Parts: sequence; structure tokens; C-alpha cells
Amino acid sequence: MVVPIIWLYCASTKNDFIKQLMSLMRKLVLLLLLVTISYSGIAKDYNATDFGAVPDGVNLNTGIIQGAIDYITTHGGGRLVFTPGTYLTGTIYLKSNVVLHLDSGAVLLGSVNPFDYVKDPYIGWMSMIFALKQENIGITGTGMIDGRGFYTANNMVANIHKGIVKDPLKQDRPNETNRPQNVYFRECKNIVIKGITLKDPASWNQTYDQCKNLYVDSIKVDSKNYWNNDGIDVVDCDGVVIKNSFFDAADDVLCFKSHDPSKICENVVVDNCVGRSSANGLKFGTVSRGGFRNFKVTNITIYDTYRSAITFAAVDGGIVENILVDGVKSTNTGNVIYLRIGDRWSGGKIPAMKNVVIRNVYAEVPAKKADSGYLYEGPVEDLPRNISPSGIVGLPGHPIQNVTLENIKIVYPGGANPHYARRGLTKAELDSIPEMPAAYPEFSQFKELPAWGFYLRHAEGIHFKNVTLVAQEKEYRPAIVADDVKGISFDKLDVQEPDSKKKKQVFLHNSTQVKK
Amino acid sequence: MNFFKIILIAFVLPFSAPAKDYNASLFGAKSDGLTLNTRSIQKGIDYISENGGGTLVFHVGRYLTGSIQLKSNVSIKLEEGAVLVGSGSIYDYNSSGSIKAIICADGQQHIGISGKGVIEGRSALLLDNMTRLKEKGFLLDSLMQTPALLGFSNCTNLSIDSVNLWDAAGAVQVFRKCTEVKIDRVTIKSKNAKDAGNIFMDNTRVRFLNSYVEVPGKALQWSGVPGEIKIEGSVDKKGSILQPE
Repeated sequence: MVVPIIWLYCASTKNDFIKQLMSLMRKLVLLLLLVTISYSGIAKDYNATDFGAVPDGVNLNTGIIQGAIDYITTHGGGRLVFTPGTYLTGTIYLKSNVVLHLDSGAVLLGSVNPFDYVKDPYIGWMSMIFALKQENIGITGTGMIDGRGFYTANNMVANIHKGIVKDPLKQDRPNETNRPQNVYFRECKNIVIKGITLKDPASWNQTYDQCKNLYVDSIKVDSKNYWNNDGIDVVDCDGVVIKNSFFDAADDVLCFKSHDPSKICENVVVDNCVGRSSANGLKFGTVSRGGFRNFKVTNITIYDTYRSAITFAAVDGGIVENILVDGVKSTNTGNVIYLRIGDRWSGGKIPAMKNVVIRNVYAEVPAKKADSGYLYEGPVEDLPRNISPSGIVGLPGHPIQNVTLENIKIVYPGGANPHYARRGLTKAELDSIPEMPAAYPEFSQFKELPAWGFYLRHAEGIHFKNVTLVAQEKEYRPAIVADDVKGISFDKLDVQEPDSKKKKQVFLHNSTQVKK
Repeated sequence: MNFFKIILIAFVLPFSAPAKDYNASLFGAKSDGLTLNTRSIQKGIDYISENGGGTLVFHVGRYLTGSIQLKSNVSIKLEEGAVLVGSGSIYDYNSSGSIKAIICADGQQHIGISGKGVIEGRSALLLDNMTRLKEKGFLLDSLMQTPALLGFSNCTNLSIDSVNLWDAAGAVQVFRKCTEVKIDRVTIKSKNAKDAGNIFMDNTRVRFLNSYVEVPGKALQWSGVPGEIKIEGSVDKKGSILQPE
């Protein structure tokens, strides 16, 4: 149905990659548009109730829906249409050439009995809708998938306490793999997810793992009724478009992962998405074994988000390469940008992060906790620290390379109190900032940092172009501190802070500046 | 000497202790007649089998289920008033083993069904569901077989005691290559489904004791290779002693 395209991509130097990225991504969007158009050629519609499904929210339809999918996949494919009503179900497996179409008012309602879900032995996770090694599949329509994960997860907790399910109950919650997601597709090709609302899973929400050609358009995600409720997880996929979508999630919103050291998550377009999170907005990682390459993220809005609007982690041996983020509005979000190389589970692989452009950003950082009042708020940290700056932090010998920050304005609250937490600019104080290679990467991980706008360490070629940093109240720290940065450049840096006309706002330590 | 006796008893006791009882609700089964309990009941059977065997006990109530597979050293006990109700959708029997049935088992040992409760096939509902799917052409060949109430293959030491078996859509009981089968004090009333309601035996050694069987046609039939049957005190609705054919 779809002509496979081999992505021809040559390594580039400096920011030539952007031009190539743009043309590549145009091709990708066109290709995936073709995928969706060819779906409208899936002619035949079948009504789920014709197979005996009872949309009363009480009768369990698992077997019936599966029977319908099995029939359609062996009879030329088509859409299994759910007319308005509530279809209670446990685990079903979507098969090739079958699209689940949820009419407006149709709800696929997850059973709250954990035993109604399968933990797939190959995938190792539980889900309401699985697809494994299938082609030309989708979930469309303006109906809803409602996992009711709060109840399912707590029923699982009860089963564990009763001793009938084994689980260490780490942090007093069942392992993520022992709670059903709404959707988990693995090693599938040509996937369309369009229009639907995905609500309340018991674990992550929707995972696309080692899939090729994934097109996500105009979905809504309401995902904050249990721990680890992500927005969307894209793991080691090739050829992804996510656009026009809204996410409200307890955990990371747009989350790209790389579980397999021999795979990579690549050729991804994200456009026109809005997200809210008690973790991060756009995230690469945390699991980052293979890496992330060729991303074009445009026009995203992040609000009321606890941690970072944009955070890329290369902490498990993977790479982050050729990334363009263009057009970000981030309001009431705890941190704006955090780029990190670490050494958590690298297993001998050399992590790298290079060729990252982040431009056209307006951001406001609040003085208070940004996600207060949302269900499953992010965990309060016991850290004496003032408001953290954005960070670009590599490891000694593993610098983050060639990052351009262009047309950016960040408004910070300022007003750091040195009696509460203080990190000065002496060599001893700067060196006292721990490297923490094996730590979980968070913008807040180093506790108090010596800058209020940007903290840069172990990097090469960091370019500030037309960057405005505003502190609304007086700060004891400078705006920017660079430590072990080779080739930092400033082109129109504007720092605004009350009563600080003669304050030196850029502090370089073991670093070299290049003039533009 | 007493000391050694105590030691001996301490060692023997755990092994000779009667098999443990587990309530169906432990595994989340609901007795409302509406909740489909297939996977909770299956989890109960699997758990009991993996933990030294025992009995899964259903107290009064209606327990809707699709096909479940019995495992070695597990018995199902239906207390008086407990009804295991077969699902009205043929798709809920895809979890069957080699013989399609509400309760089935293949290659298991020391298994049983007991108690004064009921296993009910709801033939009219299920056959109607199959007819409607057939008319639409949606019924795959693999689904054409109507489910029995009980279906066992390659099992030994199988006991069916006291239960009431009602209204099968397919056969009441099917036994294939089973030995040491004992059916005792069972009441069978299954007459709604055409061409159904029988007990089919293939190469099986069975004792059929003290039971009442009300089905259309001949109750006991050899299918395939005849085995051995011992019948005592078992009659049909006219009071005639049952005979296999």
C-alpha cells in the first residue's frame, strides 16, 4: 500500500542539517499523508453491534470485539465501527488492515478487573489495545478510549496485597508493566491515530514501539488518574508525524524513547500541539539507549507544567542529533530547556548530543509549583534551591555540541535568596557542583546552581542569538554561567534585571568565547 | 520417641492436609449474573494449580463466564445456589482448549467439579447468537462448533460429583481418551438444543453412578473408539437404566 522509502541522510556539519531536515520532513509529511489517504480506500465498514457487542457499559465485549477483528482481517480488511454507546472491554489485539472507528459518543471503556487484560509475553506490558507486527491499522473517529486506570490500578494493588499477583510494589504502586496502557503497538507499519480522545490509562497511555510510519492527528489526551500517565510514548520509531493534538498528562507529554541500543527514534515531525504535564513537555528519554535523530518540532505550547518544557536526555549511551525546535510558548512551566548527557545505563556506548537548534521561544517561569491542583501532581523535592536556570550539561569528555538558541525570551521570577540556598562563582564553588553521571536527569538535579538564566557545563559551540533573559526581581546570581564550554558566542544578548546596571551577567569559567 | 513422632507428624501434616479452599471473589469474580468472569475464574484456577492445588469455591449467585480451562489438582465446587452461567456470545468460547466447552481440560490430572450448584448453558441465547452471526456471514468455520457444558481430553482421575448440568447448547459432556472418570449423583436436564444434550465418550474409562439424565435421544454415546463404562443406579426420565450405544 505504501512504498517504503529509504531515508537517505548524510551527516552534516554545523547547521547545514536544518536545510536537509526541512526537505526530509516535507517528504515525510507527504508520505504519511499518502498513508492516511490510502486508508480511506479501506472500503468496508462493519458495525461492532452486528457481531453482538452490547454498548451498555456492563456487558464485557472483549471476545466479541476480538471476534470481529479476526473476521475483518481475514476478509479483506475494513473499519470496525463503534456507534454511540459504551463498550466495556479487556485486552484486544488489532490486526492488519483493520481500523477501529469510534463514532462521536462511542466509548471503549476499560474493564476495571486487571485479569481482563493480557500481559503480552513478547512485549512485556499490559494494554487494552495491542497490535504486534501488523500493517495498515488505525484508531479513528471522535469517540473515546477510557481506560479507567485509577480503578484498575488500585484493584491491581489489592490483588498484590492478597498475594495473587507478584509485584514488589515499589513506591507502593504496581510496576508500570503490571498496569494496562490504553494502546501499545509494537513493530507495526502504517498506523493512523486520528481524532480520538485517550483518557485515564493505568500506566503509560499510548506506546508506539519500533513502528514505521505513524501518523497521529487531532487527538486529545486526558491522562492524569494514576502514576506514569504519559501523553504519548514513541519508542524507536521511524517516520512519525504528530500534529494538531492536545495533551493533559500526569507524566511526560510528548515522550520519545529509545529502549533498544541497536535502534533509534528518527525522522519525526511534531507540529501544532498543546501540552500540560506534571513532568515534562517535549522529552527525549529518559530511556535513551539508541537515540534520537532528525526531529522537527514546530509550534508547541506548554503550560502549567512541573518540570521542563523541552528536555533531551542522552543518559543511556544513545545519541541526540539534528534536532530543530521552532516555535515554543511555555507559560507557568518550572523550567524551559534542559539538555543532558549522562552515563546511567550506557553499557560501554558513547553518548552524544549535537546539532540542536531551539528558536522562537517565549517562556515564563513561575516562582511557585506550576502543576499545583492537578491530579497526581509531580513529587515535591526536598531541595534547598532557588529557581533553577535552563541547563545544557554534558559530562567531562562528553560535551554537548553545536547548540543554537535563537530568538528566545525567558521571563524568570528572580529574587533568589542566598540565605536559603547559595552557589557562588569561586572555582571551589563551581567545582563543588556534582557531575552526577548516573543520576536520573532532571533540571533540578544539581540543587542550587550559580546562574538564574542558563547554566552551561561541558559543552562545545553554544550560540546565543537574539536571546532576552528577564529576572523580575533582583538576583544574587548572574544570568549565565559557563563552565568548561569551548566556543560560546553571544549575538544580541539582552539581560534585564532590576537595579543591576553594572552587574556582570555572563560568567565564563574554563571557557572560551568566540566573537560573531 | 514422642519427639520423633512430633517431628514425623510435623512433616507429614502439610502433605496430608486437605486441599485448600479459595473463594471465587478472591480473584474478583462477581455473582451478579452480569459481569463476565472468564478471566478472573481462569486466574483463580491457574493460581490454585501453581500453589499446590485446592478448590475454587463458588457460593450462591450467578457467575457469568466464557470458556475456562481446569488445571491439575484443582476442583471447582459450586455450593447450593451457585450457578455457573455460560456466556451468550460464541466469541467467549475462543478460550477453550481441545474441546469447546464452558469447563474444559486437556492432559490434566486430579481434577473435579462438585457441589449442589448448577452449570447452565443457556442454549437458546447462544444458539440465537450463532444463528444471527451465521446469517451475516460473520461466523468463521472455526467457531461453528457449539460448546458443550463440560469437555475433557487426556485427563485422569476426574470426578464430577453432585452438580446439576442444565441446558447445553452443544453436548452436555464430552470425554476423549480419559481414564478414571467418576460421575456420581449428577442431575442432567438438557433438552432445548436439537441434536445436543448427549454425553459423548471416546476411548474413555468411566463410572457413571447414581445419576439422573433427561436429554433428547440416547444419553450415553460412544464416539470413536469405545472404552469401558460401569453404570450403577443411573436412569433416564422414564426410569430406565442407562445403556451406552
